[in-house]
Amino acid sequence: MIKQELLSEVLYAALSRGGDFAEIFCEHTRSNVLSFVDGKIDKINDNVLSGVGIRVFLGERTVYASTSDISREGLLSCAYSVADALSEGKAPISICLTRKKVIDMHPVKINPVSADISQKSDILKSACFAAKEYHPLISQVTGSLAAVKHDILVANSEGLLCEDSHTRTRIAVGAVASENGENQSGSASPGRGMGLEMFDLISPVETGRRAAEQAMVNLRASYCEAGQMTVAIENGFGGVIFHEACGHSLEATQVGVGMSEMCGKLGQKIANEKITAIDDGTIAGAWGSTNIDDEGNPTQRNVLIENGVLKGYMVDRLGSRRMGMAMTGNSRRQSYAYEPTSRMTNTFIDNGPDKNEDIIASIEYGLYAKQMGGGSVNPLTGAFNFAVTEGYMVRNGKICEAVRGASLIGTGSKILQDIDMVGQNLATGQGMCGSSSGSIPTDVGQPLIRVKKITVGGR
Amino acid sequence: MDFNSVKEYLFDAARQAGLDEYEVYFMESDGISAETLKDEISSFSSAVSGGICFRCIVDGKIGSAATELFTKEEMAELVERAKNNAKYIENDDRAIIYKGSSKYAEISPINMATSDAAEIKSVALDLIKKTYEQSEYITDGTQTYAVQEKTKMILANSHGLYLESEVGVSGALVQAVVAKDGESQYGGDLETGFDKEKLEKLPREAIDEALSKIGAKEIPSGRYDIIFDGKQMRALLSAFCSVFSGRNAYLGLSLLKGKEGEKIAAECLTLIDDPMYPTSPMQTAFDGEGVATYKKNVIENGVLKTLLYDLASADKEGRESTGNGQRASYSSTVSISPFHFYIEGGEQSDDELFAKLGNGIYITELKGLHAGANAVTGDFSIESAGFEIKNGKIGSAIKSFTVAGNFFELIKNIESLSSNVKFGFPAGFTVFGAPNTLVRGCSVAGT
Repeated sequence: MIKQELLSEVLYAALSRGGDFAEIFCEHTRSNVLSFVDGKIDKINDNVLSGVGIRVFLGERTVYASTSDISREGLLSCAYSVADALSEGKAPISICLTRKKVIDMHPVKINPVSADISQKSDILKSACFAAKEYHPLISQVTGSLAAVKHDILVANSEGLLCEDSHTRTRIAVGAVASENGENQSGSASPGRGMGLEMFDLISPVETGRRAAEQAMVNLRASYCEAGQMTVAIENGFGGVIFHEACGHSLEATQVGVGMSEMCGKLGQKIANEKITAIDDGTIAGAWGSTNIDDEGNPTQRNVLIENGVLKGYMVDRLGSRRMGMAMTGNSRRQSYAYEPTSRMTNTFIDNGPDKNEDIIASIEYGLYAKQMGGGSVNPLTGAFNFAVTEGYMVRNGKICEAVRGASLIGTGSKILQDIDMVGQNLATGQGMCGSSSGSIPTDVGQPLIRVKKITVGGR
Repeated sequence: MDFNSVKEYLFDAARQAGLDEYEVYFMESDGISAETLKDEISSFSSAVSGGICFRCIVDGKIGSAATELFTKEEMAELVERAKNNAKYIENDDRAIIYKGSSKYAEISPINMATSDAAEIKSVALDLIKKTYEQSEYITDGTQTYAVQEKTKMILANSHGLYLESEVGVSGALVQAVVAKDGESQYGGDLETGFDKEKLEKLPREAIDEALSKIGAKEIPSGRYDIIFDGKQMRALLSAFCSVFSGRNAYLGLSLLKGKEGEKIAAECLTLIDDPMYPTSPMQTAFDGEGVATYKKNVIENGVLKTLLYDLASADKEGRESTGNGQRASYSSTVSISPFHFYIEGGEQSDDELFAKLGNGIYITELKGLHAGANAVTGDFSIESAGFEIKNGKIGSAIKSFTVAGNFFELIKNIESLSSNVKFGFPAGFTVFGAPNTLVRGCSVAGT
């Protein structure tokens, strides 16, 4: 990507006016996104992202600069702008870059970016037509097939030099069902850290049908009743509850500056003992996996909570300095334009001791949240919210009529205690997680769980 | 390679590839930001990026491709990629590379962001110092930020059209964290500009906001009369902005399809899109397709006067583009969005509006709108916080409840608006604004 001598020169330039650590992150990303609407391929978004980010540390302070000008002059100018911003003397550092081999745990069979557009168009259309044909009341279908190939290089003043490539593919279908001047929507959007071979595992037709089915369920649904009740949250994207309610509060970004309700709680019982939660960036071909993180550290499997006890945080280099803890391979960023920070990868609640049928049977009156939408959290207070995109009332242990427009709100520390049943059908769902270092692919996951009492927003 | 050389290379390559109609869109951004923690700058960053998008017409279809790599090889490849992409486009939009509008508005001289790194740092440092000084309850975790961004855009095409513009914005944020009575709370909001008087007030406002939330109680579920703070009303407007897209209406993705000319909202509601909003550093005279922009009432006294259109969606309806074909970034395809999009202020002061409400809720926080609001259906169910209003006066802080409803019903149920329109920090190239808004009979889920 960039010659080794130039990388050293840039690192020396970045440290020329002080600092105790310098890093350069180079990126070349090719993306190709097909969009579908109204029965036709509508747009193709085709882009090359190319640039570098240079960062210098002085203790717990950082200076970061990025540029899309990767000429020698551009790189040096960027490095000197970092140095000037620090301007605290000169660091006596000698840099000897040694190339480190990265083992590819996520080999790609069919490069989705360079694959023939007609092949991708056929896949996308089969999904969208399946949604349209699902029911005559499906009035509109939107869809996209996104392919991204992300080539990165990380070099730092400790001598690290490594390169990696990461590919991801995602299909998304949105269906609208209309009747009597009313719209209802449904969606499905599976993705993997794979090439087009992803579709050997995931059927585009099933994806389309799933979106349409959800829109039809919502069209027939009445508004959800509001109030506090017992809620069963289904597996897969239901795991967004842990992502929002607890995951963000375990990131060094928050913990390292005292902005998390999880500060200082290592070793303490913070959750019901049925809960074991893991962040694992190594799962082969998963949506949130990479070989190395964006600081060049290998990703790893981190147990966050074990049987209810807080075991660890997700820590990047800055967090490591602030917290005095080891890095955990969680440093991530959307692109070179963002300074990296600690982020989740594939984060899930592990299978528990309860049988799924017992969970539903145990609920006298409550909500069964079959599909969750996104949400958000304030890590300081732990207050979170998320949307239920497909839900059903539960009465006397039986799943009853569909309800729409529900949301769940609560606080992280409380819900971790209130998840009192954990089922056995662990599955993951894919999301794009937004935070200070941009929007990145993350997997969320869990088996069916029961929350004893939570506020359900409805009307 | 500078833009003019890039353009020459591209246009040469385009001619050699046998293309007749093509366009290059260039966007270059330059941003700096400083962040403090405790009493020092904990992070400082600067970013320079520039990219181009090449669009061309092949057999009546528009193809495009974008890049940040400005090399000769890449330029030739860019043209090939755009040409190839065009082959797979199936929509029946009329492909238009725009010849130009007869007139473009003059951009008034504005307070363009021109601070240097030292000024940005000193704004952030000064704010953190004042924030710690002003309250005994301030704790570590309190941070301040100062940011400045400038974006330059150039559009040039094979018809000889050449347009250039620059927008820029700066802002500061105090995020105060207070600890009192065993509880931690935060307060603060991003304020546009480095106006001295405004900056002076920021720490106090952030601290007061944080302290006011301590000891917030929960409220029972039920129907309540609500005043949405202008900042929250504009967030709601932002979440439902896509319903005003003429293209979404055409596609049945907005329930405003076929509603132009009809009364869709309360008489007191006038919703304006003004690309040239006075004093704004985000003034823009042309959109992402080169069409001249202009001020328009989208809703006037409750009547939907017009939706927003780009060239292709306007052509489908047999009308003119409203100059709202925007590009979110150099690499984005054209999509419809407004510029300064705001609800016109009413005649009442904030206090008069509270008096008019009598008893109810004043909402000062809406959370997770990206997930809890569905623009296709209009439904929303949103985590909220705020204050009780009793006999027209602000009472206890309240939290952990949701407000649920439907946007299209909500705009019909607006009873009254205050005169004070609050504008936010640009979201992309759109600035949203709204006054405090009184709505009766909203569904609230609490305890």
